[in-house]
Amino acid sequence: MIEVSRLTKCYTGHTAVDNISFKVGKGEIVGFLGPNGAGKSTTIKMLTCFLTPSFGTARIGGFDIEKDSIKVRQRIGYMPENVPLYLDMRVHEYLKFRGALKGLNSKKLSFGVGEAIEICSLKDVENKIIGTLSKGYRQRVGLADALVNKPDLLILDEPTNGLDPQQIRHFRELIKDLGKRHTIFLSTHILPEVEMTCGRVLIIHRGKLLASDTPQGLVRRRLEGGDLVVELDAIPGKASVALKKLKGVISVDEERSVDGWVRFKVASKGNPDLSEKIFELAVERKWKIREMSRRDVTLEDAFVDLVKGEGAA
Amino acid sequence: MALFTFINGWLFISTVNVMRLSKMPYNLVYNLFSSGWFWMGFLFIFPVITMRLFAEEKKMGTFEGLMTAPVRTLEVLLGKYAAAVTVYLAMLVPLFLFFPIFKMITEQDGAFGNGSLWGSALTLILVGFFNVAIGTLASAVTSNQLIAAMFTFVGVMLHYFFGFFMGFSTLPNSKWASSMSYFSTVEHMQLMSQGLIDSRPFFYYISASVLILALTFHVVESRKWRI
Repeated sequence: MIEVSRLTKCYTGHTAVDNISFKVGKGEIVGFLGPNGAGKSTTIKMLTCFLTPSFGTARIGGFDIEKDSIKVRQRIGYMPENVPLYLDMRVHEYLKFRGALKGLNSKKLSFGVGEAIEICSLKDVENKIIGTLSKGYRQRVGLADALVNKPDLLILDEPTNGLDPQQIRHFRELIKDLGKRHTIFLSTHILPEVEMTCGRVLIIHRGKLLASDTPQGLVRRRLEGGDLVVELDAIPGKASVALKKLKGVISVDEERSVDGWVRFKVASKGNPDLSEKIFELAVERKWKIREMSRRDVTLEDAFVDLVKGEGAA
Repeated sequence: MALFTFINGWLFISTVNVMRLSKMPYNLVYNLFSSGWFWMGFLFIFPVITMRLFAEEKKMGTFEGLMTAPVRTLEVLLGKYAAAVTVYLAMLVPLFLFFPIFKMITEQDGAFGNGSLWGSALTLILVGFFNVAIGTLASAVTSNQLIAAMFTFVGVMLHYFFGFFMGFSTLPNSKWASSMSYFSTVEHMQLMSQGLIDSRPFFYYISASVLILALTFHVVESRKWRI
């Protein structure tokens, strides 16, 4: 559905998107993950033909974003960040206008608008002026707009931005449901969202693509070493230095307890025997051990690691 | 629109009153449209009509939604331009109803001829095409409606006063003075409102409007390649 090849966008002084390539197959729900300013929105703006790439290209449904821009745009339902809408229009008027703009004839238009209103549960507010609606409803109007011409591909830029927890949950359910009929490419910096809705994650940082994997795959990668929590009766600074010297340790965080014990969080990679090594070190240094446990690694850890690693490099 | 009609109605009555008091060499249409008062009110309407066209879309962010829909930039531009021209033409309709109503009430057939009426209407339409194009360009370069309105007003005013340079020239038949008269809206109106249809203003306003719209097109497209 999406084939991106060496896509680059340069602005004076910095490269917002740096030579990225990836593919998204039909029917996939792909999360595009990255910290703020990573280049997510710029990539999306190029895919939706709003900006032209400096180098490289992308094809959507087999059409080139520069040469066949109109055909590409006919196949996309796009919900921009912050969901800009014409606030003085009524919901159904707005959807009709957008449908007509997307080239639907009158028969398809009324059917498309009706269906979009149905899917996004907008029946109660279809005659209301958009400016009077709450953020949650506006978000749904934005999604209905993206759906009105039944596009093959939905591109959603931070779709749950600014919603309350209950609205976020509703929205995720809706996206999951839509994933059965459409290919979805959604950008976000909210990690649980990706874990819950996406089959695959692309991680972008400083314009570069760092990883493309399933959420579970990313966590597995991170688990190669494991995260350990150790509670020791030791001298804080010295113990941290000693722990850091062990093979495969990436970072050590320490936290003092009230009773004089120190809790160390040891993040590691590439050393499956780390717990044994820590135990041997404790025996050697005569530290008492009160707890040693493996911490569950979340997608957040995997994400932070990837981004941190890239930052250090 | 109501204010525009009201001001022009008041101006119309004043012109009729002045003509009742003394003998005038020109007809009613000429007198109304060569008055500076008419032009002052007239030139104010263009910033108001055009300031929202692109500036509002950019400010609200809806510009992105518009340009990612399967429509060409030229279609968007011409659509917005045509909409503004339509509003402008709708504003002219009541103004040109004054004249037949005046004739019906007063039965003064000699007050003006049909030629001057059509000539002045044509001039206002041509000037409108040009001024709306200036407004469209001003609205495309900024995301602030107020700045767009100011740009339009300055552009429209400069063009209007450009024609007056002819009067300031010390040598009445110098090349400068005569070439300036090609740009003079006042002179175009004076000729046309006497029923003399001249082809030069046609070419001037139409080609200048096309040029400004072409510039606007590139301004709108520039978001794609700007670095």
